[in-house]
Amino acid sequence: MIPPTYYLVVSIILFVLGIIGFFIKKDLITQFLSVEVMLNAANLAFITFAHSAGSLDGQIIVFFVITVAAAEAAIGLAIILLVYRKHKSIKTEDIHLMKG
Amino acid sequence: MNTFAALYPLLSIVVGALVVLLLEVFLKRKNRDYLAFISILFLLNAGRECIRVWNQGYTYFDGNLQLDNLALLLCLILTLATLLVILISMKYLRLQNVNFGEYYALLLFALSGMIIMVSSTDLLIIFLGLEVLSMSSYALAGLKIEDVRSTEAAVKYFLLGSFASAFLVFGLAFLYGAAHSLDIPAIVNFFRADTSLSLMALAGLGFVIIGFGFKIAWVPFHMWTPDVYEGSPTPVTAFFSVGPKVVGFAVLIRLFQLYWSESLNSQIVSSSLWVIAVLTMVAGNLLALRQRNVKRILAYSSIAHAGYLLVALLAEDNSGLVFYLFVYLFMNIGAFTAVIALSKKGTEYLDLENYKGIGFRYPWIGATLSVFLFSLAGFPPTGGFLAKFYIFASAVHEGFIWLVIIGVLASLISVYYYLRIVVYMYMHTATNDIEIDAYNPALFLVLFLCLYGVLQMGIFPGNVLIIIKQAVASLPIF
Amino acid sequence: MTELFLVFLINGLLGVVLVVVNKITGPKRTNPIKETPYECGSPYLQDRIYPIPIKYYMVAFLFLVFDVEVVFFYPWALIFKKIGSPALIFMFAYIAILGIGFVYAWKKGAFQWEK
Repeated sequence: MIPPTYYLVVSIILFVLGIIGFFIKKDLITQFLSVEVMLNAANLAFITFAHSAGSLDGQIIVFFVITVAAAEAAIGLAIILLVYRKHKSIKTEDIHLMKG
Repeated sequence: MNTFAALYPLLSIVVGALVVLLLEVFLKRKNRDYLAFISILFLLNAGRECIRVWNQGYTYFDGNLQLDNLALLLCLILTLATLLVILISMKYLRLQNVNFGEYYALLLFALSGMIIMVSSTDLLIIFLGLEVLSMSSYALAGLKIEDVRSTEAAVKYFLLGSFASAFLVFGLAFLYGAAHSLDIPAIVNFFRADTSLSLMALAGLGFVIIGFGFKIAWVPFHMWTPDVYEGSPTPVTAFFSVGPKVVGFAVLIRLFQLYWSESLNSQIVSSSLWVIAVLTMVAGNLLALRQRNVKRILAYSSIAHAGYLLVALLAEDNSGLVFYLFVYLFMNIGAFTAVIALSKKGTEYLDLENYKGIGFRYPWIGATLSVFLFSLAGFPPTGGFLAKFYIFASAVHEGFIWLVIIGVLASLISVYYYLRIVVYMYMHTATNDIEIDAYNPALFLVLFLCLYGVLQMGIFPGNVLIIIKQAVASLPIF
Repeated sequence: MTELFLVFLINGLLGVVLVVVNKITGPKRTNPIKETPYECGSPYLQDRIYPIPIKYYMVAFLFLVFDVEVVFFYPWALIFKKIGSPALIFMFAYIAILGIGFVYAWKKGAFQWEK
């Protein structure tokens, strides 16, 4: 039996990795994937807490978060596709019309 | 009382959105103004339902949907904001080639998300409402498909917005772990009972605050605001500047009920919010000084206003906060309406240079825009002055002397960039001819309504204040 | 437990150290052939990934959304008997909203393979 703290540590590591990935990667798809990693880190934390509290609420919440992530993926990929058609690139440094 | 009637306002909006969506694909008419009128009908119906259940305290879904008076008042404010935005969009969409029927459906979906947020006390439901709002907003920001800036705004908003919601979800997970529930009363009770330092709950709350801070645009989290405001279609910008702020503060009012007493946890939270408030007021106003694009100026001004609103939140002046939101709705949408009025087919005049001499060429637009800018800067006798006055007065009363001093200094800075637009309109002679063909009864109706709102709240705020006091009294007292 | 942890720690550190030392001290010689993508040693066939037609993306997006929405049917089916008719009504409302989304995508021509 692995104690819940371990899951929590994994979840925090995943979350931090997501943040790092979001900031150091320079293309939109990878940044978006980092956000998905962060969401899944939160899911893991929810399940851990639900398990240690012995209630089902946390697991139901995960369903909702998964749905939200899917909807976000659909609209996000559509927007990124639009960017690609406009700029012929999905690198962040190519998207710099507005500044200041 | 647990009754199906509690669903009516929300149901009216959602059904309206679906009807608009279906009409768009089945009728395929070139002129889409009829969709706007249909949406307005559904909005009016939702407003009527809100007024009808005033003071009834209806709930549904086992109390997850709670229409107390505060929720109803905020629903009315948001419905009004959406109504005004739809009115100013009709002509704009045709002129700027954004002629999609989905626009109205997306606005209504965003409104339904906001109504879900203000009328629930469960953070999970609030999160879902926020996502409904955000998804519609991402699409709305990118709707001007021919304009590269709009696409850029959409992608920036989407990336940073989803980043912020990931923070929010992670924070919710930690709050759930600490309090074993996502119901706001349960969380508040947990914080009040737990006098020792609870790192997990604090981290959770911090992440939740960061998540909402992104949506409201507080200063360390404001990077997306100017770009998104500049790139989005202007009516959508008006919507962004009001809607997310109102709902964000509505949720925070519920979450920070009385700051959970004197415990160590609440001390830490309130001092970090103090720092954010100072940063937001100062940086928002300073960064606005060097902008030349009117939409960007208004973007930074909306950041600064988020800072003043945070002062109200810190001072626990809920009625002052709601009053400020109400005034802010009128003055900000009014200012954006004037900006929209200064446009012609395919072009918008957004640079300060274009505003030279506008005050004499188009006296009605110039005069109303000046009033809105005076109100944003906080001059009497406009609503903006009273709203700021109430907030700062209650902050002094609560002992936030330094915060108020910084806030007043920051709003003195803001006078410069608001008045600069007025100076350009009246003191400079026009160098280039600005042709506008946005004369439209709907635009003038909105300008008039906003002017009326700003002056009414500045001169006779009594009636509005009574209603707001009634609404705020419906918050549970611990 | 501690021993297991130590084993992982030492092995992991060893791996990191070896890779880093190799990166720092190893010679760096490069030539055009080394820079080309590796395809099992044979000469590579195409020099880049060609864009895939947009209709695939449309179907993928729609599949993504509708596929995940179905996740709510399972918990609903578990407690359906306990709640009874309200559960049925709400699920029908849910399906109706999904159906409207489907009809919208259909009428917009998202499923038209040949334009």
